[in-house]
Amino acid sequence: MKRVVSVSLGSSRRDHRVEVELLGERFEISRRGTDGDFDRAIQLLKELDGKVDAIGLGGIDVYLYAGKTRYVVRDGKKLMDAVQKTPVVDGSGLKNTLERETVYYLREHTDLLPPGTRVLMVSAVDRFGMAEAFAELGCDLTFGDLIFAAGIPYPIRTVKELEELAARLLPEMSKLPFHMLYPTGKKQEAQDEEKVSKFGHYYREAQVIAGDYHLVRRYMPQLDGQTIITNTTTADDVAFLKEKGAGCLVTTTPEFQGRSFGTNVMEAVLVALLQKTWEQITPRDYLDLLRRLDFKPRMVYLR
Amino acid sequence: MASHEEITASLLAFQEGYNKNERLKIMNRDWDRVVLVQANDIPSQHTLELRNGELSVREGAPPRADLTVIADSETLADLFYGDITPTEPYMNGTLKIIGSEDDIVRLDFISLMIWGE
Repeated sequence: MKRVVSVSLGSSRRDHRVEVELLGERFEISRRGTDGDFDRAIQLLKELDGKVDAIGLGGIDVYLYAGKTRYVVRDGKKLMDAVQKTPVVDGSGLKNTLERETVYYLREHTDLLPPGTRVLMVSAVDRFGMAEAFAELGCDLTFGDLIFAAGIPYPIRTVKELEELAARLLPEMSKLPFHMLYPTGKKQEAQDEEKVSKFGHYYREAQVIAGDYHLVRRYMPQLDGQTIITNTTTADDVAFLKEKGAGCLVTTTPEFQGRSFGTNVMEAVLVALLQKTWEQITPRDYLDLLRRLDFKPRMVYLR
Repeated sequence: MASHEEITASLLAFQEGYNKNERLKIMNRDWDRVVLVQANDIPSQHTLELRNGELSVREGAPPRADLTVIADSETLADLFYGDITPTEPYMNGTLKIIGSEDDIVRLDFISLMIWGE
């Protein structure tokens, strides 16, 4: 049996373990949250190194993409460098393939994304592939990177402006402690009420809200039937979204025993199946494997 | 070591860079803040004030500050001239910023929007 472990800076309350069979191979997939404790995450990564088949890094990004440029998040890289023997991934490779495909799939197979759909991406630099796919399909876009990460009420409307701002800001901002840019640990369990009331209108004006679940959740006001496109959700998250008035939940990663895992976990599973080093893997490898696995977005209607 | 006058000149350059950036003014029109800039190796204090998206600079300390930026005079002058970015000195402790985390990120953002490449 192959073992894949996700080590997350997120809350340990979201820990989960499942056994599944994929392409005839048995997998034990588990998530271990460290409640925002960076040192504990490093220690755990060192303990797992060489003992499991692949590791995913959760609750943090290592690589952010905007256009053809890749930005390295300093804290994420420190975690990655703690692992020497086992392949370790942050989910960015899958975000650039699976999540693009999810957008195309929704256009082709559902009525959730007609041309001109108003889409709010709470953060787009961590999901550039998805942002490009929405733009390609003619969606009316609002990227909330400045609004929610920096509290600046400036909606970015085009991929070009997103790239321009990323080039100016990310080389330096990626050096800041990650908790200054993204909710880690206990912060993931609470909403930021000030930003909910100040910026909630961006959610209400949208028809589709997409992006990292913790960011989507943290700033979410009462909704009116909007579709949420995200990845990692638990049964509690589904209940939360229902209570907030969301209309439909789409998760880009498949459900295993009631839970959709993060892209980092799924990418680690694919790496374990491919048996190549991360550097050798191309987007085509991921796409071929995703087709063989027949991964499709999961849709849950909440009303 | 930089002089008080050099810090003043660097802050005026920062103000000029800010005021030339129309997009930055739009971005900050909801963010009224008073920032005390204080050197820790020479007697030098300045006030940066953001109001309705406009940035003003004056010598001396304000009666009350939302954010306080403290560093040696050389670091302050380099920082506001855009010769260095705030991240490294902030991370290694040469530069101290007292205020809420959201405000610190936003001040970092403003300096990168003015000087960042």
